[in-house]
Amino acid sequence: MSHATKAAEFNKNEAKVNWHDKALWYVREKRDKSAHNVQGWEYLRQLGSKIKANVLSNLDEYLIQFEANAKKNGIHVHWASDAEEHNNIVNDILSKHNAKKVVKSKSMLTEECHLNPFLESRGIEVVDTDLGERIVQLAQEPPSHIVLPAIHKTKEDVDELFQEHLGTTPSQGNPEYLVGEARKHLRDKFLNADVAITGVNFAVADTGGVVVCTNEGNADMGVHLAKAHIACMGIEKIIPKEKHLGVFLRLLARSATGQPITTYSSHFNKPEDGKEMHIVIVDNGRTEQLSREDFRASLHCIRCGACMNTCPIYRRSGGHSYDYTIPGPIGSILSPGKDLKKHSSLPFASTLCGSCSNVCPVKINIHEQLYKWRQVIVKEQKQPMVKKSILKTAGVVLSKPGLYRIAGKTARFMLKNAPKFMIYNKLNAWGKARDLPEVKGQNFDDWYKKRQKNG
Amino acid sequence: MIGIKKDRKMGRESILKSVKQNKPELLQLPDINEATFEEDINLLETFKNNLKAVGGFVKEIDEKSIDTEIKVLHSNKTNIVSTTKKSALGTITIDKNTEPHTLENIDLAILEAELGVSENGAVWVTASNSIVRVLPFITNDLVIILKKENICLHMLKAYDQIAERYRDFGVFISGPSKTADIEQCLVVGAHGAMSLAVLLI
Repeated sequence: MSHATKAAEFNKNEAKVNWHDKALWYVREKRDKSAHNVQGWEYLRQLGSKIKANVLSNLDEYLIQFEANAKKNGIHVHWASDAEEHNNIVNDILSKHNAKKVVKSKSMLTEECHLNPFLESRGIEVVDTDLGERIVQLAQEPPSHIVLPAIHKTKEDVDELFQEHLGTTPSQGNPEYLVGEARKHLRDKFLNADVAITGVNFAVADTGGVVVCTNEGNADMGVHLAKAHIACMGIEKIIPKEKHLGVFLRLLARSATGQPITTYSSHFNKPEDGKEMHIVIVDNGRTEQLSREDFRASLHCIRCGACMNTCPIYRRSGGHSYDYTIPGPIGSILSPGKDLKKHSSLPFASTLCGSCSNVCPVKINIHEQLYKWRQVIVKEQKQPMVKKSILKTAGVVLSKPGLYRIAGKTARFMLKNAPKFMIYNKLNAWGKARDLPEVKGQNFDDWYKKRQKNG
Repeated sequence: MIGIKKDRKMGRESILKSVKQNKPELLQLPDINEATFEEDINLLETFKNNLKAVGGFVKEIDEKSIDTEIKVLHSNKTNIVSTTKKSALGTITIDKNTEPHTLENIDLAILEAELGVSENGAVWVTASNSIVRVLPFITNDLVIILKKENICLHMLKAYDQIAERYRDFGVFISGPSKTADIEQCLVVGAHGAMSLAVLLI
């Protein structure tokens, strides 16, 4: 199903769409305020971008260095070419510990690999512990945003879910009450978990350590109570030096939510005595994306979600309309590389306004890549007849000034005089849910000529 | 892990080979010109404002009055762990071998932080400050003692200061745990500590 079709579905509830739109724009505004407070913010973005570009150009060496340093600190390092290998490695570690209960903190990678259903089918309980992730897990839905996973849910939705699954009393969606109940529910899960799985925000080559950022403290509650910690990371999470965290931690939370830093930025370098720590390094299509010169900068992404919050399409279509683990503008340049056919409508889910590129903390040229993917897709994918013939006709008309003038006159005449059904029909996407502009007496050309004549 | 050793190696070699083939020509790592981030601001006041903005409590006090201050902030706590000699309020003693699950009912933890960061109100807490790593997360309320002179301007400076540490576990904590996952309503007290007070001495 195309993005437009799914977006139309989301748009059926107008009040909810308006709320979604405003809520995300508010987060974007918080990002602006927070960024403007930082002396040298633009330079900081430049540094972030350049460090990431260096990482990609020397990634194999950094990965080897990272592995060696992590091993020195007693961390087990595993490599997985794809999702299946990743899931098997995690499952093997869990089997070794005879683990039946797993707590997980946010990791888009494990979403991408569909780890939860894989483990659940083997009789393992996997509990997502970030509140937003727990909400969507209970609702049996994927996250609709990478930082705000349940942004598409109202508080009344959450109230109902908690009544059903946690046995809470109806509260008309009282956030304090619901968070308190979730705290109790998940505390019990933390205390009884065998193994904790986390994602990785940054993996530092020169120390072999990983950094995980949360606001809730769920990663730490899981890791420090369980007997083993499995941290799953894509190969692009590497940064060369610990000092570079000083650049990325300054950028990340400000871009994501407007906070100056997340509540917890946890640095895991060595397992606690008597415990185990594992890191699973995953490719799953990333080296292929690295080979695409036009698109490799998409691997700079630090998963802040700023491009989603600012995107006029994302805000009004919701994360689920993208039907990909990472939605929004960044998801629309990552997904075609994974499956061009399935995700071919995503690069078109954009106005190419460039706002995503403007807020990206590591300066990914997102809107330019969207435009480039469109060109690839038009060449490789069959386009709908209507679009094809309209564009072909437009090409001819625009290349011939005489014809263009006639077409313009005809269009104005039709808009003014033709019956409604001829203008507002399926062929005219611009007439959907909006009125076309009122036709004025004269066109630009006539107006200009007249003006010249009158001096 | 014997059973998966072979596959693991395959994954490693094929990933590294693929990276090598597909990576662009070497691009230089940029030098960081820290002068760009210099600001003539009052470190202490900025730290205090930023910590308050993220939901923390902060107060400058005399070292001698630490326990008096804590008693005012937390008047009726019974299970208290103090990992610093600066406070004598601890009712439960812990050491490196304390089983972390036994800290489940800790009402209040008092510990020292080594460093504060003015730009975001964060404090740096290491495994040796906590003794048991889960302590600052599992406790209901958290009090952190920080020396005023250990506040630096921004994160790059913070990493310079902790560069020579023993690396096992460390965390920057900025305010109490929080979430806005229900309709963007900010609620303090998610999974970690419900409150954070930083006492500056």
